[in-house]
Amino acid sequence: MLPKDKERVLVEIVERVLSAYHDGAAVERAIYDTLYEERRRLETERDRKEAARQRAFYDRIYSDANGAAPEVQRRLLKEIVRAFAAEVAGHFDPRIYAAATRLIPPALSVLLNAASPLRLLTAATTGFANLEDQLRVEGEVETLQHLATLGTTVLVPTHLSNLDSIVIGYALHRMGLPPYIYGAGLNLFHNKLIGFFMHHLGAYKVDRRKKALLYKDVLKTYAGCTLEAGYHNLFFPGGTRSRNGGVENHLKLGLLGMGLSAYVHNLAAGKAKPDIFVVPCTLNYQLVLEAETLIDDHLKEVGKSRYIIEDDEFSKPRRILDFIEKLLSLNSRIHLVISRPLDVFGNEVDDDGHSKDSRGRRLDRTRYVARDGGVGLDPQRDAEYTHELADSVRKAYRRDTLVSSTHALAYTVFRLLRARNPEVDLYKLLRTGGKETSFSAIEVYERLERLLDQLRRLAADGRLWLDDTLAKKDTVAVANDALAHLMSYHRHPAVVRRGDRLFHEDRNLLLYYHNRLDSLGLPGLEVPR
Amino acid sequence: MSAAGRIDALVLGGGSFGTALANLLAGLGRHVVLWVRRPEQADEINTRHQNRRYVPDVSLAPNLVATAELAPALAAAPLVLMSVPSRSFREVAHAVGETIRGDQILVHTTKGIEIGSGRRMSEILREETCALKLGVLSGPNLAGEIFAGHPAGALVASRYDEVVRATQGLFAGGWLRVYGGRDVIGTEIGGSFKNIIAIASGVADGLSLGDNTKALLMTRGLSEMAQLGVSAGADVFTFGGLAGIGDLIATCASPLSRNHQVGLRLGKGEAIQAILNSMVHVAEGVPTARAVHEHAKTRGLDLPIVAAVFAMVHEGLTAKAAVATLMARPVGEELAQLRYR
Repeated sequence: MLPKDKERVLVEIVERVLSAYHDGAAVERAIYDTLYEERRRLETERDRKEAARQRAFYDRIYSDANGAAPEVQRRLLKEIVRAFAAEVAGHFDPRIYAAATRLIPPALSVLLNAASPLRLLTAATTGFANLEDQLRVEGEVETLQHLATLGTTVLVPTHLSNLDSIVIGYALHRMGLPPYIYGAGLNLFHNKLIGFFMHHLGAYKVDRRKKALLYKDVLKTYAGCTLEAGYHNLFFPGGTRSRNGGVENHLKLGLLGMGLSAYVHNLAAGKAKPDIFVVPCTLNYQLVLEAETLIDDHLKEVGKSRYIIEDDEFSKPRRILDFIEKLLSLNSRIHLVISRPLDVFGNEVDDDGHSKDSRGRRLDRTRYVARDGGVGLDPQRDAEYTHELADSVRKAYRRDTLVSSTHALAYTVFRLLRARNPEVDLYKLLRTGGKETSFSAIEVYERLERLLDQLRRLAADGRLWLDDTLAKKDTVAVANDALAHLMSYHRHPAVVRRGDRLFHEDRNLLLYYHNRLDSLGLPGLEVPR
Repeated sequence: MSAAGRIDALVLGGGSFGTALANLLAGLGRHVVLWVRRPEQADEINTRHQNRRYVPDVSLAPNLVATAELAPALAAAPLVLMSVPSRSFREVAHAVGETIRGDQILVHTTKGIEIGSGRRMSEILREETCALKLGVLSGPNLAGEIFAGHPAGALVASRYDEVVRATQGLFAGGWLRVYGGRDVIGTEIGGSFKNIIAIASGVADGLSLGDNTKALLMTRGLSEMAQLGVSAGADVFTFGGLAGIGDLIATCASPLSRNHQVGLRLGKGEAIQAILNSMVHVAEGVPTARAVHEHAKTRGLDLPIVAAVFAMVHEGLTAKAAVATLMARPVGEELAQLRYR
């Protein structure tokens, strides 16, 4: 953020967050709730010096607030908000960003290629063409590029891996798009290697250990204010990496709704470019770096997954290098599919930025927020509008997910496993593997072939995307591609071929990759017995 | 008419219920315009204050204005009440979609489900228009009694507070008490489903089976309604309200109900085609029985009364045979499908 905007945005955040606390009682409650949450957090803060500094700050607030007059308490609340806001807004500097984006592609190439000296040699001669080829950006790229000049865009990707933000940062750069502001969890910065890049990708630190509502208000307001100031934003509406491997179904509405309020504020202020465009996109990997940890976490506590995982594959540079090396050697691609952009009410937007109804007719989107002859916010109405937007984002995710060989094979084998053990519950099946440790390859391939037929029909109808292997290769080639992937990177292979049998080994992984396809809720995908 | 000036509401559909609502609102002094398909019908309402084809022997409020031109009337209305039969609903909705804007409120009163797609009316509105502020008005509201000015109650359900408030405000001061709700799905399912049960209840009357039988059909019918509703995401309590049991009581008890009429004549042994040919009005229960039956099949729901009515009105099963089929079913726990879901 430019220095001139930064101070303005800070003031605006503080004002807006405070305006939600109308009376003395609400202010007092907010102070003490925040103190309670913050002191609890500080008990486990690792950085002792920092903890002592913050504790002193809160102790002073506490003694000043105790029995103080309402206007004093209001001033103290303002101090806390200001401190939160400064912390959130403090990290992003466009000059560093500009330098970093120039630096990243070669740096990332070296990083990736350093995994293999041989590759480094090849890379030196091919001019890093590998990396260019490794990431495919598809879909509505030109529309996104154009809309980014007409208004402010909010990119909302699916989320599988901590590598996502790096991949997207790089993809944005390659599309020639300006910086995107992005809130990243503190744990992403723990990995020094990646942290370096994160810092310079437009990321600001989000401290998920801060549970105070006031802090969350500040984060949301920060996103809204930066949008209003014309800075493009990126956030993952799923909130966290998909634990079960499926495409997100539950989306966080709080941040999604900030686009709408920014739009209304922009209209009310009579800005020249008031429009906010929400652009869903899907990130698709044949292998996911943290698959093992994520699915384990999902199975351990279905529904209440740990929100912060600090000890996964992402925190181990060697695993990242290993992962990237495998992807390169398997000629595996990462696909970023950009969906048709939406307005903040969930309507699709055409190439020129006009909203359209579901029959393709242009509509005047300003009318949705018309109020008393002008425009205005209405929290109840706007919350429902945001539900509409979330519905459209979910639909886009399902339509624009790209399926690879690993998903198709895992789906086939896992379905077969369940069909053969109808009486065994899921957890027991995952643990024991059921009656047979392997299936005949011929049987699996027959089922895979039927699945491929169905997937290709669905892809032809525009219901999903297929990678090149799935779209064009024969069943055996698809199976071989999937096996090569599933047997290579993970500690235990999900499935292995020995002779004419396919052995299911890591069934959790099998479930994980199966879930990608399963979560799309496509009709007629039951593989017949 | 002077559609150029701002009006309070536009009612779409010159059938008996649309006319009743428009007439009620005009009687309350609201600036209301009634859109009808045929220009002659609009002329008749504007000059003679009558709509004889659909509501014979009724004098309409003199300030009720009718038009056959959709676009200008639509442009001037902050609130639109859509009251057209389910079979032409999509076509009219598409036409509405040509003109309507995002600030306008669109509330429908149609009690039916689209054949083939199984879509609810609000889903059709969402597909065919850009309107988001959608609602549904439903309840025990027989058009004849509305014309007679008897006290009645209705439910307007919408996800938007603004829609509920505006609709309540529109009807305020009259003898139609409009309650507010949030469950659009349950309200729509209640309103369409009860027409099927009304046919079944009419059959019981036609066969002179008595009040015990009717009460049995109505309560088990309500249970089927709630089962279907809950599976579609409705709030089970909606079915205990005006749009559920309220509407069911009125429709099953009243000789004024068209669906009840269809059942009554089926019970007396008339053929379905002859019954339908002799009716001016649409009996929504007939197409709805097919839509719900097909929908239930794909969802794996067991709805025996729906299946029986479907068989009577679409497959020629006799009333007596239908009763025999229902009675041959095993009895189980009364609330098993709802309580243990």
